Amino acid sequence: IKINTDSDETGITAVVHQFLQESKAVEQEGEKATTENQESTEMQQENLQTSATPALTSTSVLQDSTTTEEPTPEASTLPSEAVTPTTSTISTTTTTPQPQPVLQPSEPQPVNPDSQSTVYTLPDAYRGIGGDLCVGYGSLSRINLHGYWPAKNFQSGAHYTLPFLRDSYAPAGLSSQAEQDGHSERGENPLDMKTNHPAVTYPTLGGIHQFRPITTMELLREPSRTRSGYDDAFMAQLEGNLNPFFQAMCRAQTLQVPHKRSSMVSLDSIRRDPRWRDPNLHEVISMLSHPMDPVKSNAAAYLQHLCYENDRIKQEVRHLNGVPILVGLLDHPKAEVHRKACGALRNISFGKDHNNKMAIKNCDGIQALVRLLRKSSSMEVKELVTGTLWNLSSHEPLKMMVINHGLQTLTDEIIIPHSGWRRDLADPSKLQSAEWTTVFKNTSGCLRNVSSDGAEARQRLRECEGLVAALLHALQSAVLNKDTDNKSVENCVCILRNLSYHVHKELPGAERFQEPHGNHLIRSIGHPKKNEPDAFSGKRPKDKRLEHFHIYKLAWLELLYQPEVVRLYLSLLTCSHNHNTLEAAAGALQNLAAGHWAWSSYIRATVRKEKGLPLLVELLRADVDKVVRAVAIALRNLAMDRRNKDLIGTGNYALRDLVGNLPCGQQHPAKNLEGDTVVSILNTIHEIITDNPENARLLIQGHAVQKLVAINKSSQSARETKAASHVLQTIWAYKDLRNTLNKAGWNKSHFKPTTTGVPKKSKSGKQGSDDITLPLMDKNQGQRITALVKEFLSCDMFFSCKSAQAISERKHFIRAGRPAVGLMDNKPPPLDSWV
Amino acid sequence: MSFVPGQPVTAVVQRIEIQKLRQEENLILGFSIGGGIDQDPGQNPFSEDKSDKGIYVTRISSGGPAELAGLRIGDKIMQVNGWDMTMVTHDDARKKLTKKKEDVVRLLVTRKSLEEAIQMMSR
Repeated sequence: IKINTDSDETGITAVVHQFLQESKAVEQEGEKATTENQESTEMQQENLQTSATPALTSTSVLQDSTTTEEPTPEASTLPSEAVTPTTSTISTTTTTPQPQPVLQPSEPQPVNPDSQSTVYTLPDAYRGIGGDLCVGYGSLSRINLHGYWPAKNFQSGAHYTLPFLRDSYAPAGLSSQAEQDGHSERGENPLDMKTNHPAVTYPTLGGIHQFRPITTMELLREPSRTRSGYDDAFMAQLEGNLNPFFQAMCRAQTLQVPHKRSSMVSLDSIRRDPRWRDPNLHEVISMLSHPMDPVKSNAAAYLQHLCYENDRIKQEVRHLNGVPILVGLLDHPKAEVHRKACGALRNISFGKDHNNKMAIKNCDGIQALVRLLRKSSSMEVKELVTGTLWNLSSHEPLKMMVINHGLQTLTDEIIIPHSGWRRDLADPSKLQSAEWTTVFKNTSGCLRNVSSDGAEARQRLRECEGLVAALLHALQSAVLNKDTDNKSVENCVCILRNLSYHVHKELPGAERFQEPHGNHLIRSIGHPKKNEPDAFSGKRPKDKRLEHFHIYKLAWLELLYQPEVVRLYLSLLTCSHNHNTLEAAAGALQNLAAGHWAWSSYIRATVRKEKGLPLLVELLRADVDKVVRAVAIALRNLAMDRRNKDLIGTGNYALRDLVGNLPCGQQHPAKNLEGDTVVSILNTIHEIITDNPENARLLIQGHAVQKLVAINKSSQSARETKAASHVLQTIWAYKDLRNTLNKAGWNKSHFKPTTTGVPKKSKSGKQGSDDITLPLMDKNQGQRITALVKEFLSCDMFFSCKSAQAISERKHFIRAGRPAVGLMDNKPPPLDSWV
Repeated sequence: MSFVPGQPVTAVVQRIEIQKLRQEENLILGFSIGGGIDQDPGQNPFSEDKSDKGIYVTRISSGGPAELAGLRIGDKIMQVNGWDMTMVTHDDARKKLTKKKEDVVRLLVTRKSLEEAIQMMSR
């Protein structure tokens, strides 16, 4: 019997007694039973405890048992004893593997009224609401009160709380103290235990802990009911008005619990009880299939939370087959459910481990996401869907799938509306400016990824109605609004750059635009053509389309020849500070100007007319590697035009800036540029001085030879050396300059390679690899390399080019900090042996 | 289940006793092991610590003696009939399990859930 020293408690005890009159008889019975059988029940409890836990986890006690199935039968047998409802309650509580709390519940039973009274002293005894360990192991009274008997066959694993239920305001100290007390008292006469630490039993919000712990399942089922019930109870408690308290508690406690996994626990007991644990992953995933929607959505939200930046859990979710369930939930009619499921999928799909992405794809996740995008009108859902698609699209094998299922939808639902472009309106003044929404950013990012997937992907994007026009419009409005540094703009420019890559080859009927430079195969290879995406990609009708499309095509083709797009890129180069955007815009110009096509010549001239050359030269001074590289290669392509070459060489100090970018051999380079960039610059220089003796002379005057020779001799990178030697050879080819060179102290050996002459083929191959500015990948550096390989292989490259390719590929890897050889790739499958 | 090299390993274990089943002239246990100090620990899907080179149960034939005895997939085998399994090669482990003269193996296995249970209790 608990000894309560607090006078208030006794007062309340009386009230409690009245309230519980009906069930008193039973209570007393129970009391007796418990007092007498305390030892036994405890033992039973203990066994139950230990045996129960293995259902969840195994305990040391279980060592003797051979199966984990046993505990359940044990548990169910106990409640069948007429004696102690307590055991039944205990059975439920024992699911949380903690032996010592088990004992505690036994304490209050014999003194139900008293213990309850102690509880209700809370208003005074609000001391340390901590460590309440006699968490309502279901009081006798309550059970009889409601005539409810807990399920006899609990399922282990059913009892858990969501984290939010933990009461953080329970002072840890008290809990631990209580626990320690529990420990020390274990096995002793519970009566003694009670006396020893009366503190443990009281500190709850009213006799909440008298009631059995409520599982989260129940709370989720009728959250409002329980919580409001408890709120009322609490309020009643505080006001010292106990009848309403009880009523409220009853309300809160009487949940219809059809599920056999129910057990009643008070909210505070859950909060305070350290035995209640968060659901493990398995349970959360099974909650996803729960019939109740709030459970599903909470489980999904919890999964999302768990998966955040935690690769291991993402992997586990996949192993436990959570992904198909989540994908299934995307089709759920309720917004709450599918939104949270999408959020969870988004987190899961993010990261280096692509198995998760594949798992999503394998259960038709991409189709489901696109479906949801079409159905939903909620901006948040759209953001999540597009974000997930963005993640998925960063994985190479999935890109085509995303295009197949999602391209038109993404374009129609998001790109076109958010870009402000109106298909039918011809009047530009009516066009709205773009909305840089998150959805637009996500979608443009996704399309950026897929646009890098190769010729087929580019084709599809170009053919997608309205896509390119919308993107162009969006960019134009960005320039107008001077808002060019955001991610959406970057994505759009990158898409356009990608789409313009090799357009000349991929246009049906484009051959007629090709200039008759038949034998300049090397050059054309060496200059990957990133053509104007707008005209071609937006309206590149196939021959089988209807007549009016041809007319439309002409209109678009005309647009191609307009300087507007060139102006657009140049304006982006002028006003943007985003390095990726700068690189992409320069890359787009590079593509446009590449090749020997009628319109590429036109573009080169247009760039010159639009005063683009000085702009690009200016950018050579940028500190950013990739920008310098892109601009250098753009200049190189532009220099294919004779007049441009003159201008670049002589008029714009380009040579000076280019040379200035070169490292000075052994000395600390002026700019710490990557090898790739150096190679690009060297190639640009080469282009400039080819067929232009004047430029070559200028180059020599600029003391470039010194640097070139130094690079040629001492550079670590084979490509750099080759590029430098190439330039040097070209210089030497100008016989007129040899005098000057000799006077300066250079002789033939500096200019001619000492190794066997570099075959022209490999050089061009090198150039080719330089010139391919890759569509930048956001999410995966590896993409760069694979894209590089793809582009390379898709061209008619010479064999040696491919080998140069491989070298550059390795270098990319090295540069990226990865081992040059895929150490992890060739691991033999793990050995396992049957025994 | 990570360990500190040089320090004794402590783990919560479950004792499992498996009666070998006679199939023609073989005695089988009905599970398959993976791991070992000569294997790549990174490929182990069951281990907490990806540098753990212990012997893990990778497959269990359903209805077999191992499953009946309570062995579960993912379990790490710590001892077999008293022989240590935490620092052995794959083949050594296999041999200790398949001794022809023994028709019973007593294993000590551990799994994460055991650890969790103990942690729960001790909290």
